[in-house]
Amino acid sequence: MRVISTVVGNYPRPEWFRDYLRKIEGLQKDLDVEVDREVLKKAISEVVEEQKRAGIELLTDGQLTWHDFLLTIASRLEGFEMNGLVRYFDNNLYYRIPIVKGKIKRTKRILYDFEIAFEIEKNVKPVLSCYTIAKLSKNEFYSKFDEFLWDLCDAIREEIEELEGMGVEFIQIDEPSLLYAEKDELKNLEDVFKELTSTKAKTVLMTYFDSAERIFPEVLDFGFDVIGLDFVEGYEENTRVLEEYSFERINVGLIDGRNTKMEDLNDLKRKFEEIVSRGEFKEVFISPNTGLEFLPRVKAFEKMRIVSKLKEVVS
Amino acid sequence: MKTTVVGSYPKPKWLLKTIKLHRDGRIDDRVMDEAYKDAVKAVVKDHEIAGVDIIWDGEMRREEMTSYFAERIEGFVIYGEVRVWGNAYYPKPSIVGELRYRDELAVRDFLFLKSVTEKEIKVPITGAYTIVDWSFNEYYPTKEEAVYALAEVLNREFKELVKVGANYIQIDEPAIPTHPEEIEIAKNAVEIMVKGVKAYIGMHMCYGNYRAIFPDILDFKVDQFDFEFANRNFEDLEILREYDYDKDLGFGCIDVHSKRVETVEEVKRAIHMALEVVEPDQLYVDPDCGLKLLPRDVAFEKLRVMVKATNEVRSELGLE
Repeated sequence: MRVISTVVGNYPRPEWFRDYLRKIEGLQKDLDVEVDREVLKKAISEVVEEQKRAGIELLTDGQLTWHDFLLTIASRLEGFEMNGLVRYFDNNLYYRIPIVKGKIKRTKRILYDFEIAFEIEKNVKPVLSCYTIAKLSKNEFYSKFDEFLWDLCDAIREEIEELEGMGVEFIQIDEPSLLYAEKDELKNLEDVFKELTSTKAKTVLMTYFDSAERIFPEVLDFGFDVIGLDFVEGYEENTRVLEEYSFERINVGLIDGRNTKMEDLNDLKRKFEEIVSRGEFKEVFISPNTGLEFLPRVKAFEKMRIVSKLKEVVS
Repeated sequence: MKTTVVGSYPKPKWLLKTIKLHRDGRIDDRVMDEAYKDAVKAVVKDHEIAGVDIIWDGEMRREEMTSYFAERIEGFVIYGEVRVWGNAYYPKPSIVGELRYRDELAVRDFLFLKSVTEKEIKVPITGAYTIVDWSFNEYYPTKEEAVYALAEVLNREFKELVKVGANYIQIDEPAIPTHPEEIEIAKNAVEIMVKGVKAYIGMHMCYGNYRAIFPDILDFKVDQFDFEFANRNFEDLEILREYDYDKDLGFGCIDVHSKRVETVEEVKRAIHMALEVVEPDQLYVDPDCGLKLLPRDVAFEKLRVMVKATNEVRSELGLE
């Protein structure tokens, strides 16, 4: 069993970069000002460096310009307009709600920040999302949700093809909303996700903020190489899932990305061993359960240290 | 029927500059303190000229509404800021030990304000539920326990306030409507906070789905609820009507998210709508929320219009 330390996605912005964004964009709803590429590169390098220094093996770009969390992806596609402020799941965080005003099209690279990170370091994974964006958007254009979802899927699919062409090894798809999908909806989603996962790159499904027992067994047919589960919010339920269903690669979100409290390493080790004993895993990724942007930066770093220490003691 | 404010008011520009100088170590604490006091006097004067009946000091010393209190309560530490949305951040406190009363939270501000105005005073303090909801909890096994512990601390502060003459306390709880599933915890927390407190208690909530917390909040031990109505076109008055609302009503009728100053006629219409739900002596006319994000001249103008509209309604009803 190979164990790899990783993170989920977002990371607190360096303070100077935060000030820079505030200066060029202000605090109002008109964000998404073009950020100077060199400035962004400097900020991303810092965050990439920080992850490496903490001992993280599979990195992310930190999503430093993602004002609206996963919904940022919508803001970079044609057809969406961003408006109003809505609460992001059960967090004290808000995003501008994407409103579908026209046909969804991908007209430019979505993950330009990932592209920069990939220039700096090859061991970085891009993060995308599809169903969650469709669920959290307000559709004022398509007559059917399915049409909307499929156009969105096509746009994301194009991005995935480009990423594959760049030689990216892992592509992560975050779908927190999937955890609340109805059973019959899950069956229909199989085709959408198969479309997204039919790539040479290895695909990771990341779920968080809740347990995932409701999406099994359907999710096993979605074509993902790795399935990520949140063991902070759903330790019991997700452990039961592993007992019942088997798959080969898992992302264990075991370190609490939403609380400054630092876990006890022995306690984590015990939980980790219990989790992996429930299945026969070839590859296990260890990470916080969520992105680390919920935390002040000093604590985000400490959490990554815990991830890498846990990796050391279990492998 | 009285006019009041929710709490915050735009800081004078010179105060913002002084705060920055103080932060950079270029002026000492004494000068800073004098500046705060002068700013309060200026804000009080604005409120007096506008003619507001019940005032607060505009929260000149508060940067925001969570960490200001957390810094003064034993058991909290602040590691740094986290993002709320876009480019907006706040210092999110962590509970790392037993929450205990350490420093006064608003007693000194109240006493100073009292020394510079003859007006009635309301003291706004962020409630236990909201502070805990907006903090990390490293210490208590459950959120509920943390909320109750903090409620005890605030109860002590409320009693201290009453001791020095405060008779109107407003508990700010914007987090309650965001977690309707925890309404029971919030309700118990209110009981702890107000126990033995001989003052008029208001509770301000903004930004959330009020329908989700009705009718449960009607059992809260408060004399008044203060809601934002202007921001949502007064549609929420319907909820009050549906549930036979009978507490006093803080009636937010000035939109704090818009720089457009309401007309007197508009505000009068709104007040008449509120009077269909409550009696004039139950009604406290105020803006939706604190005014701090508006330009100062706009904030002042809005207060002036609000008071003028209230006065006209009063004389129409023969209340003067």
